[in-house]
Amino acid sequence: MYLTVRDATKLYGTFTALDRVSIGIEKGEFVCLLGPSGCGKTTLLRLIAGLADLDGGKITLEGADLSQMPARKRGFGIVFQSYSLFPNMTVAENIGYGLKIRGVPRSDIAARVAELLDLVKLPQVAENMPGQLSGGQQQRIALARAIAVDPQVLLLDEPLSALDAKVRAELRDQIRQVQRALGIPTLMVTHDQEEALALADKIICMNHGSVVQAGTPEDLYHRPATRFVAQFMGISNLLTPEDVTRLFPDLLPPRPATPKAQLACIRPEQVDITPAADGTAMVRSISFLGNLRRLEVDSPVGPLTVETHGTNPCRTGDPVSLRVAPDACTWVIDDAPAPKAVPA
Amino acid sequence: MSASETIRRPSRHRTFDSDRLLTAACVGLPLLGLILFFAYPMLIVFLRSITVDEGYGMGNYVQVLGSSGFWRATRHSLAMGGATTLLSVFLGFIIAQGLYRCAFPGKWLIRAVIVLPLLAPSLVQALGLIFLLGRNGVISRALGVEIEIYGFWGLLIANTLYALPQAVMIIGAALVLLDARTYEAADVMGASPWRQFRDLTLPSARFGILNAGFVCFIITITDFGNAAVIGGDYSVLATEIYSQVVGQRNFNMGAVVGIMLLLPTVIAYAIERQAMKRQQAGQTTGQVAYRPVFAPLRDLGMAGLSLLICAAIVAVIGIVVYASFVTLWPYNMSLSFKHYDITLAGGYSSLWMTILISLGAAVGGTIAVFLLGLGLRRLPQALAQPVQILAAMPAAVPGMVLGLAYILTFNSTATPLYLLYGSAALIGIVNFYHYHTQGFLTVMTGFRQLPPALEEAAGSLGAGLGRTARDVVAPFIAPMLVSVFFFLFMRSMVTLSAVVFLTTPQLSVAAVTIMRLDDAGLTSQAAAFSTCVMAVVCGAVLAMKMILALMQRRRG
Ligand SMILES: Nc1ncnc2c1ncn2[C@@H]1O[C@H](COP(=O)(O)OP(=O)(O)OP(=O)(O)O)[C@@H](O)[C@H]1O
Ligand SMILES: [Mg+2]
Repeated sequence: MYLTVRDATKLYGTFTALDRVSIGIEKGEFVCLLGPSGCGKTTLLRLIAGLADLDGGKITLEGADLSQMPARKRGFGIVFQSYSLFPNMTVAENIGYGLKIRGVPRSDIAARVAELLDLVKLPQVAENMPGQLSGGQQQRIALARAIAVDPQVLLLDEPLSALDAKVRAELRDQIRQVQRALGIPTLMVTHDQEEALALADKIICMNHGSVVQAGTPEDLYHRPATRFVAQFMGISNLLTPEDVTRLFPDLLPPRPATPKAQLACIRPEQVDITPAADGTAMVRSISFLGNLRRLEVDSPVGPLTVETHGTNPCRTGDPVSLRVAPDACTWVIDDAPAPKAVPA
Repeated sequence: MSASETIRRPSRHRTFDSDRLLTAACVGLPLLGLILFFAYPMLIVFLRSITVDEGYGMGNYVQVLGSSGFWRATRHSLAMGGATTLLSVFLGFIIAQGLYRCAFPGKWLIRAVIVLPLLAPSLVQALGLIFLLGRNGVISRALGVEIEIYGFWGLLIANTLYALPQAVMIIGAALVLLDARTYEAADVMGASPWRQFRDLTLPSARFGILNAGFVCFIITITDFGNAAVIGGDYSVLATEIYSQVVGQRNFNMGAVVGIMLLLPTVIAYAIERQAMKRQQAGQTTGQVAYRPVFAPLRDLGMAGLSLLICAAIVAVIGIVVYASFVTLWPYNMSLSFKHYDITLAGGYSSLWMTILISLGAAVGGTIAVFLLGLGLRRLPQALAQPVQILAAMPAAVPGMVLGLAYILTFNSTATPLYLLYGSAALIGIVNFYHYHTQGFLTVMTGFRQLPPALEEAAGSLGAGLGRTARDVVAPFIAPMLVSVFFFLFMRSMVTLSAVVFLTTPQLSVAAVTIMRLDDAGLTSQAAAFSTCVMAVVCGAVLAMKMILALMQRRRG
């Protein structure tokens, strides 16, 4: 591991904001820190940046302990949610500020600033003041400023959340491109699962100040460890073993022996739906979402969500039969229910 | 990646963190100043008030409380404070209501006129009244009546003019808070303008009015200049302290009267701070400013009233300027520069000295409150809180009491602080600590608007505290620093109460010179000297406005 956080603990008075959190980032890796509001993502990021002090645990960079090192000596780049450009400096001065502090000659700074402005595709704004830029442009400049000093780690705290959807998607791709091109190990905080799925090499899913699961986007989506992760990473049908016995008996055998794995998680697109006069389920409603249709189905064990691509002959009120392939079901631990995930 | 090779990697060894030391210095030095030049002198006054011949005791208090002179002064101070408060809050409310709730042209003129009394030493109001209503006053002569201006009525008018700007500003700030949407909602519900005034405007301005009342009360009972010039036989606590200390050289008794004057101001100040908090708590973001539409009856009436009040202010201040050019008031009204030739020993030297002292107080004071604010941000709340409370305390102390505290502390050979006694530096210092609270609170407002992300971004780019302060923090709160600088400069130019004890025959300041000129019967020269002071202060105001406008423009 390049950067490791071991058993990081942070207390605010009697409130435990982070409880023995351990994570790691490999060289060149893009890691997303995902979790609901207030789960401690920003707190963890600030500990890594050196903007807050640990109450327990250890943070190391290539084996060297960082705990006594103030933020300004860590050489990390950081991009905040908003309002972090220096309003009294031009765009070029903002980007070059870190280099100026390091005593880089002026001509070299100018060259590097021009290079970075090209990289974030804003070559024409060098002499503007930050107040004259749009929110998306400001965040791009903040990104350029953070990477100007060739940081050892790039930390992004919801850099996109103050922007509207279209700018957001654009900038998201740009961040990823820049990160790939420069190979900077990056940790980005987000509470948008879609963003995390699209960007990350690795997602760390947090809740209530602890890491719930860490893994590739595929892992977290298809093989969630807990009910919280399953719900947070998208829409899922969560069935008790009794429900499964009634509805899809052939899914039971792969159930792991651990008694904690209590719920079957089935993603909506894993359910095969076919009209059948003798079907035990019925289509209650259909929403058309462009590339797919989402069907709410009344089954003998309660409502289920099903998604189909392309055309599907089912209509509202039709009786239907449902089928799920045995390997499409994951058994998850029943922890806390997650706040409702934003539908794609 | 051509240029990036030259970047030095920050060393990853544990190094001594100079920022902690800097933070400690930022808080420590101003704190040391507060203790040495505020807390310690205040302690000394208190100790002196209980010092009797053979040790400590309540003897002085017994003696003061038993004297009829003290009770008369107290009665007068309270009556004067109460009457001035009522009158200036009432007039201030009219003007604020006119400025923020009515539609008529020329409001800038009212805004400009209303601050005039703040730009002159407080005794200028008194001088102006004497030129208008005194035995040789223009109005008395025109009407052919004999008006007794020295005493209660003269002092009431002078104090009211002096307190009025504060009342207008505080009440105006409260009125601005009430959103246009509230009035629109009331309109839709069919509330008449009168009902809206009674049910919306008055309740929301409640804390502002209360606040203004306390501020006016404090200003009035602590003011010395007006009382000294136009009070006549109407003795108040401030003049009582002066006569005890300067007249009878009875320092311990002066200290007792000072402590007695401190009591009501501390109480009023404490209540006012609470009211202020309540008002701020009601504040919401995303306000829609109220835009009054023209209503002839209301607006013409209010414009007329405002104009009348402003005319009074202009008359009182203007007559001083005018009189300074009159050859021999009231017998030879032709104009000349004769009175600008100051005949009192020292001439204009005290004016230059005051400018120098004011610049010193402004520079030093601005730096001190900036450092304090900078350091407090980085301190844990438990440590920052007590410092903040101490920093906000000087406003509760009347200038007379602070000045007395200084003379008791620094005119004693017991400590090396004695070296400062009689120096211009000490006058600069007393001016700064006299107005410490206002400067400190202004800077803190600026710091509250500074997004933490700015400092953190600078920090993670490698900037230390010193560099962050210079490149990021100071430019961000520069408008506040400019305001504090000019505030300290202007107050130092015109203040009288704290410095009146600290001047010596060799070292005087402008306001004291004006008082001495007036005492010596050289009223026209006093007017001329006042005019010079006002010119300097007006110049400062214009400079401040220009600098702030330039900053605004630059930030875009
Ligand atoms: N300075 C502080 N003092 C006290 N409590 C704090 C402080 N900062 C954060 N907290 C608390 O710690 C918890 C975690 O906060 P944090 O900012 O890390 O959440 P987050 O996951 O970043 O949330 P969001 O998605 O809303 O940004 C929250 O409950 C918050 O109220
Ligand atoms: Mg956060």
